[in-house]
Amino acid sequence: MALEIRGLRVSYNIEGRGIEVVRGLDLDINKGECVGLVGESGCGKSTVGLAITRLIPERKGSITAGNILLGDKDVLTLGPDGLRDVRRSKVSYVFQDPFSSLNPVFTVYDQLKEALPDKRNADEIISGTLESVGLSGIIGNKKIYPHELSGGMQQRVMIAMAIMPNPGLLILDEPTTALDVTVQNQILDLVARLKDEMKLSVLFISHDLRTVFRISDRVFVMYAGKIVEKGLKQNISLKPGHPYTVGLMDSMPSFERRKQKFNAIEGRAPLFSELPKGCKFYPRCKFRVDDCALREPGMEIVSGEDHVSRCIRIKEIALDGISKS
Amino acid sequence: MELVKVNNLRKVFPKHKVTAVDGVSFSVNEGEVVGLVGESGCGKSTLGRSIIRLIHAEEGNVFYKGEDLLKLPRRKMRSMRRHLQMIFQDPYTSLDPRVRIGDILEEVFIIHENFSRGERRRKAEEALETVGLGASYLNRLPSDISGGERQRIGIARALATDPEFIICDEPVSSLDLSVQAQILNLLTDIQKRKNLAYLFISHDLGVIGAICDRVMVMNAGRLVETGTCENIFKDPKHEYTKRLLDAVR
Repeated sequence: MALEIRGLRVSYNIEGRGIEVVRGLDLDINKGECVGLVGESGCGKSTVGLAITRLIPERKGSITAGNILLGDKDVLTLGPDGLRDVRRSKVSYVFQDPFSSLNPVFTVYDQLKEALPDKRNADEIISGTLESVGLSGIIGNKKIYPHELSGGMQQRVMIAMAIMPNPGLLILDEPTTALDVTVQNQILDLVARLKDEMKLSVLFISHDLRTVFRISDRVFVMYAGKIVEKGLKQNISLKPGHPYTVGLMDSMPSFERRKQKFNAIEGRAPLFSELPKGCKFYPRCKFRVDDCALREPGMEIVSGEDHVSRCIRIKEIALDGISKS
Repeated sequence: MELVKVNNLRKVFPKHKVTAVDGVSFSVNEGEVVGLVGESGCGKSTLGRSIIRLIHAEEGNVFYKGEDLLKLPRRKMRSMRRHLQMIFQDPYTSLDPRVRIGDILEEVFIIHENFSRGERRRKAEEALETVGLGASYLNRLPSDISGGERQRIGIARALATDPEFIICDEPVSSLDLSVQAQILNLLTDIQKRKNLAYLFISHDLGVIGAICDRVMVMNAGRLVETGTCENIFKDPKHEYTKRLLDAVR
């Protein structure tokens, strides 16, 4: 297994008190697998990504419980040297906005070189990597700066930097959200190809189910700091097992359902400081009954052991993906 | 009936030697939702902004009910803007972070109307209600509310003067998909209720296909294909349109 997270809890210091934003999360990624983590803004999904290499600033918050196993090591017990090694060569990140991730005053070449743990044969490795991310046009051009590249090309540079150390795990946090749809697909296809060629394990974090479905082998749906559904991509896309997942699917715009109202999820994600008792999705759920407010549901089987959902009504309600109403 | 007619509009940025809008002509009827789609840098925002003279276009005409907006004196154009409004992409930068929501909305009436203070406040409350928010938002700052709520304020501000034509420039691109769905529902509801005309600018044909009557496809400053949504989606002619369609399938 490339990554195994067990019972992860993360708290942020908000107005002098600790507010839990990841509330006991389990997630695993097999070697060579792409796992999609999907949820709305403020559900804690980026925090999960950051926690994996302990990038949450100490003054902002802390990991209070759980294990994060990378191979045979628990990241949460590593000392400074071990942690540096993990960050340098085991796990790489690509963030949402490539322009603010790149340093505007250094050349692209210098930044690529910086990302290499071992500088021997740097030119050769950089050229090879640029070729494989589809940037052969700038090979050998050591004077080019980030602002001279388009958003899509900048994101390709970020991906080049991320794969150069040959990491076991690549974390992509909303890597296509700032890009045009046409460019989004190019980037997704690139990641899919690299994943196969390099046998990368990928954690793909996004609010956009379309991109998540396009690239992932398995999908984890996150709501209010916990996984509410997980399963194989094809199972979830055909037979979603949680009302929240259905809401996300109904939010996807399409010509086929044109001129119909979106069956949008009402309201917004709850604040972590005022989470409801019981099921956290209860106040926005179309299928709620009184029992839902009593206690937070455990994982129920939807279809086979690998497809589970945190909904007590999953056996009695029929969720058929994109609803017709 | 024809509401806005754009004729051979041209905008050149001489410093970069770019012709951002290269002889574009089209018209929008009353109560019609027209989509303008293209990739970043194709000139679609420049076109939108040139129509209401936020950018100065060198050539062409923009007729609103027969009157050429590009020939109006500045002062007259200013008062004309009550009929032609704009909703911007980024609800984070299009609202002044230091100004309370109530004052942001009241400002519209200071510019366009001669209302007393009480009337302005009442009108601001009304504007909030149209977009599904309440008077409790009047005293909040933009930083106190979510991205979706901010975009609702942007919509309320555009609607406040009772315009007939609204240019929506990527109004949902920076929002989560779930919030995007809520805002698209809201825009469609208001459009139907008030029989508004929209020029809806987006890079995402999926969004355009879901809400527009007609589509115009823009590439390198020109409209390369126009047609009803049905025609464009079922039988695209131009290679570029096909590429955009592939992206959302």
